[in-house]
Amino acid sequence: MKELVSILDGNTFVISDVQGDIDPSPDYPSGLFAWDTRLISKWVLTIDGERLTPLSVDDLQYFENRFFLVPGEPTHYIDAKTSVIRHRTLGGLFEERLTVLNHRNEPTVLTVRMEVASDFADVFDARGGKPRPGQLRQIVDHGRLKLCHQRGHHRVETIVTSTEPGEVDESGFTFRVELDAHGQWSTTLRAVAVFPGAQGHDVRENLLGYRPDRPELRRELAEWVAAAPQLTCGSKVLDNAYRRGLVDLAALQYTGLTSQFKLTATGLPWYMTLFGRHSLIASYQALPFVPGIARNTLLCLALMQGSRIDDFRDEEPGKILHEVRYGEPGGFEEQPRTLYYGAADTTPLFVILLDEYERWTGDAEMVRRLEFEARAALTWLDTYGDLMGDGYLWYERRSPAGLENQGWKDSAEAIIHSDGALPGHPRATCELQGYKYDAKVRAARLAREFWNDPRYADRLIREAEALKIRFNRDFWIEDGEYYALALDGEGNQVDALASNMGHLLWSGIVDEDRAEPVVRHLLGDRLFSGWGVRSLARGQRRYNPVGYQNGGVWPADNSLIVLGLRRYGFDESMARLAYAMIEASGQFDGRLPELFAGYDRKVTRRPVQYPRACYPFCSSAGTPMALLRALLGLQPHEEHLTIVPAIPEQLGRIELVGIPGRWGRIDAFGHGRLRLFNE
Amino acid sequence: MGSPTDEFFTGLEDRAPELLPTTARGTIRFDLDEDGHTGYWFVAINRGNVLVSRENREADCVVRTKKSLFDEFASGAAHILSAFNRNDVTVQGSLPLLLTFRRVFPSPPGTRDPRERVRARLGVRTGPGRRLRTGRPGRLERQETQQ
Repeated sequence: MKELVSILDGNTFVISDVQGDIDPSPDYPSGLFAWDTRLISKWVLTIDGERLTPLSVDDLQYFENRFFLVPGEPTHYIDAKTSVIRHRTLGGLFEERLTVLNHRNEPTVLTVRMEVASDFADVFDARGGKPRPGQLRQIVDHGRLKLCHQRGHHRVETIVTSTEPGEVDESGFTFRVELDAHGQWSTTLRAVAVFPGAQGHDVRENLLGYRPDRPELRRELAEWVAAAPQLTCGSKVLDNAYRRGLVDLAALQYTGLTSQFKLTATGLPWYMTLFGRHSLIASYQALPFVPGIARNTLLCLALMQGSRIDDFRDEEPGKILHEVRYGEPGGFEEQPRTLYYGAADTTPLFVILLDEYERWTGDAEMVRRLEFEARAALTWLDTYGDLMGDGYLWYERRSPAGLENQGWKDSAEAIIHSDGALPGHPRATCELQGYKYDAKVRAARLAREFWNDPRYADRLIREAEALKIRFNRDFWIEDGEYYALALDGEGNQVDALASNMGHLLWSGIVDEDRAEPVVRHLLGDRLFSGWGVRSLARGQRRYNPVGYQNGGVWPADNSLIVLGLRRYGFDESMARLAYAMIEASGQFDGRLPELFAGYDRKVTRRPVQYPRACYPFCSSAGTPMALLRALLGLQPHEEHLTIVPAIPEQLGRIELVGIPGRWGRIDAFGHGRLRLFNE
Repeated sequence: MGSPTDEFFTGLEDRAPELLPTTARGTIRFDLDEDGHTGYWFVAINRGNVLVSRENREADCVVRTKKSLFDEFASGAAHILSAFNRNDVTVQGSLPLLLTFRRVFPSPPGTRDPRERVRARLGVRTGPGRRLRTGRPGRLERQETQQ
C-alpha cells in the first residue's frame, strides 16, 4: 500500500502522498475534504517540470505537518542543488507555506508549478472518480483560482490564492523564481471553501469556519490536555496510548452547523462526521477524563432525535440518530444520510450515557433538561423498537439505501449463523437486549431521583427484570454454553459465536451462573486472538481474520468487554484483555485504529493492520481511557469515587491525578500486583 | 380549506405541545415566496407551546423558501433539511431552533407503521406470549426479500 500522510482539524482533513502531492487515486480518498465534500482533488508540485522526492515528513501536530523534498527521482545518493519545504496547516482554511532553497554557490532561475483541481466528489465517491452531477468550472479571478461546482441551487467554491504573485491559469499557479546563491524564496498558498447561501446571507456561511489560527489551535490543544487527568505509569506503551487517544479526541472535535457545541467526528477518512453510536461510546469511555464530550453528544443527539415515521431515513419518533452527512448528495436524496436513523443501539445508549454522565458529573440540570427526549427514547424502545411486540429490541431496514444490520455490527453479513447462513428479518441481536435492560434500570434511577416519577421508575424496573429473565431463557444456547448472537423474526436462535455477548457483561443482563462460561468463551482461543477478542470466533463458517466484522478485532468492542469483565468480577481476565489491548496499541504507535486483523498472536508477532481501517477513530481513541477506568476500578458512588485497582504486574504502578467529577478532582493510584497466567 | 401549508399552520397550535420538547423556546418566521410576493408565518414557541400568526416580525430564526416547496414539507412529502442541504431553503439565525421545529412535520403521505408491516408479513402471533423456537437453531436458507 502507498504510504499516506494526513492532517485533520475536526471534520476537515487532507490526505496526500509522502511528497505532499494530491493525485486522484482509485485506492484511497486523497484530497482536501470538509463537510463530506472533496474541495481539492489535485495539488501537485513540480520544479522545472519534475516531481519531487521526499527526504522526510514531520508530523508537528494533528493539524500541521512539514515535508522536506528534493527535485527528481529518488537515487541512492542525493546531491541536491535545490530543496523544498512544504509546511502545511489546517484550521478552517488550508494553508501551505512553500519554501524553495538554492544550495548552489551561484544564482539560479527555477520554474515552480502547482497544479490545482477539484472534482467536488462526495467522500463516498472519492475513490471511484465517478463524476458528480452538476457543472464544474475553474476560473481565474483577480489573481485567484476559483474552483466551482453548481448543482441546482447548491454551490460550492474552493478559492485558492498565493501571497507571492505568480502566473495563474485555470489549472494552477506558475512562479518564475530567481534565487541568489544560497538564496531562498517562499510563498503561502491558501485554499478556502465557500458555500454561498441561495439568497444573501445564510447560516451555511458559518461553514467558512475561519477557525482560530495556529497559535489559537495550539493553545486550545494545550488546555484540553491540561484539563484531563495526568497519567504517570510504569508502562511507556500505556502512557503513549493514553496521550495519543486524548489528542486524537481533541483533533476530532468540530463545530457543526449549529455552533453552540462541538461534535465529535468519527474516523478518518470515511467517517469524518457525527455517528450517534461512536460518539455515544467515545463519550462514555472518556467520562472520567474529558466529560465535556458526553455533554455535547447528549445535547446534539437530543436536538436531532427522530420525530416521525420516515421509511427513507429509517426514522421513527424517539429514535436516536445513526449519522449526519453534509454532502450535497443527501440534499438530492440519492442517499438518506443527511439525517439517517438506521441504528437500534443508539437510543438505549443515549439513555445509558445520560445516566452515566450524571453519575460522574452531578449535572442534574442536564437530566431534567433532557427529560422529554429521554422519555421519548424509552417509549421508542417499547414501541417502534419492539417490532415483534414481544419485549425485545428488534430492527429491520426499510430504506432501500439503508443499513441491513443496525447494531454496532452494521455490515451486511455480520449477523449470521454458525454455518454462515443469513437469518431472516427482523433481527434482535443479543447486545441490544443488554442495552435495553441497562437503559431501563438506569432510567428508573433518573425517574425516581430527578423526574419525580416513582411509579414510572417502578414500572421500568419491573420491565427490566422481566426482560432479563426472558432473555436468559430465549438467547441461551445450552449445548455450547453461550448466548445466541441474535433471534430472527421467527424466534430462531442465530447461533454464531461472536464478541457481542461480551457487551452483555457490561450491561449486567447476564445471570450470575452464566458469566463464567461466557468469559471462558471470550478468552478462549477461538475468540481471543492474543491481541484482543475477535468480532467472530475462529472456526465459524464465515470467520476471516481480515473480515471487517467477521473476525477483525475492534478496540471499542473490546473496551466494553473489559468493563463488563470488571463488572462481573473477572479481574484476572479483565487485566489480561486490557493488557493485550495496550500491547496492541504499542504496535500502532499508540494510536489504536478502528480495527485490526484477527490473526492469532502465535502466528503473527505483531497485530496486522486491517487495510481500510480508519485512524484516528473516536471510540478507539477512547479505548485506553476505558481500559484505565477498568484497571483502576473507578466507579462513582453518589458523591464519591471508589477506586479498586486490579493491575497486571507488567504495567507497574499507575497514577492518575486529577480525575474530574462531582467530587471536584480526585487522584487514583494502583500497583501492578496481578499475575497473569499463560495458558 | 387552503393549501397544505395553511392546514399545517392552522393545526399547529394543537399539535405542537405533544411533539415539541418542553424546553423548546424561540421564534421562527417562514418567508414563503409565491408568484412574486412573500407570505409570512410567525411561530412563537414557549415551553413547547406554540402561537401562530401571519406577522412579518423579527424572529430568532428566519427560513425562506418557495411556498410550493413548503407545501411538500407540510404534507410530509419532502424533508426540510434535505432541501436545506441542496440550498432550496435558506436559514438565517438559529438553526437549532429549526432542528427542534422539524419535529412537527408529518410523515410522508401513505406511510404505514413499520410494526404492522412486519407483523402482517410474518403472519405469526406476536406479543409477550409468543412461543420462541429456541434450543435448536433453525434458519431461513435465503434472505427474505425486503419489501
